[in-house]
Amino acid sequence: MASNPFAKGGKKRPGIVQDLTPMVDVAFLLLTFFMLTTVFSRPQAMEINLPESDEGVEIAESKLLTLRVAADGAVYWNIARNTPERTTMDSLNPILVRELRARPDLVTLVKVDREANYVSTVDILDELQLAEITRFALAPMTPQDVTELQAVGAPVTPVEAEAAPAAGTPAAPTTPQ
Amino acid sequence: MAGAPVTGKGPRLDMTAMVDVAFLLLTFFMLTTQFKAPAPVEVVLPSSHTEIKLPGSNIMTVHVGEQGQLFVGAGESEGVAVPLEDLTSVLIQLRTQNPQVRTVIRADRGAKAGVIEDVMDALKEARITRFALVTDLEDAQA
Repeated sequence: MASNPFAKGGKKRPGIVQDLTPMVDVAFLLLTFFMLTTVFSRPQAMEINLPESDEGVEIAESKLLTLRVAADGAVYWNIARNTPERTTMDSLNPILVRELRARPDLVTLVKVDREANYVSTVDILDELQLAEITRFALAPMTPQDVTELQAVGAPVTPVEAEAAPAAGTPAAPTTPQ
Repeated sequence: MAGAPVTGKGPRLDMTAMVDVAFLLLTFFMLTTQFKAPAPVEVVLPSSHTEIKLPGSNIMTVHVGEQGQLFVGAGESEGVAVPLEDLTSVLIQLRTQNPQVRTVIRADRGAKAGVIEDVMDALKEARITRFALVTDLEDAQA
């Protein structure tokens, strides 16, 4: 601490004057490298909670809002035993909000065709989350679903009869703690 | 270029402050950088509106490629190929090694929904009822 670098005056500083330029160059080079390689954004995670037990929950069919995704990614929705109506992922949100406002006791059941893309599953879970539906069931397609969808001309993949569970397995996404 | 040593002639800029800042930033970026090992399978993530961040540590990942290839490993990017039949036992084994581990599924947008269904069934069989799907933020998708 012999010399104050901010000292005014035209006097030559005593001692060794070190040229810092190369060190600063290297420092900035490394700084640029680390700045460009750093990735700050961590991927998002969509939390899913499956029920602990395998027991199906009995739900009255009249209270069921079924969302089915066909093999081509189109969404078919219906309440109770109504004919499935075709819609798209983008126009699903108003439907969900409208139907659930009219009947808050509705239970949502999601069925995705095995041949559909995984992005459909994520999209539909995302739509449910946006519509603030936190309790829903995620179930595989049953042969009955396939016949119902084929009746309205949807492209679906046939499923074997034995792979049909009695009821959907409820799944609820959790909110962050 | 003027050679060193620099004499007092002419304006001299005091670079100390700039160098201090440069080194501060350098230290920051050096300490925060995590070098990622390449993932076992190239995956285009689907996008969602969820705002929960993926936990940085203590996770095990099930990677699902576009063709339905399965890779399982601790951490975010490690993974060994595992056939679907063995998935449950591998998951149970990893859970036994670290009971606190959280499971995430990192699947390609183009993977078949049926494969994901099978993976979820395997998770359920392994008594992993809480897991997460890795996605990108919706806005990040062009």
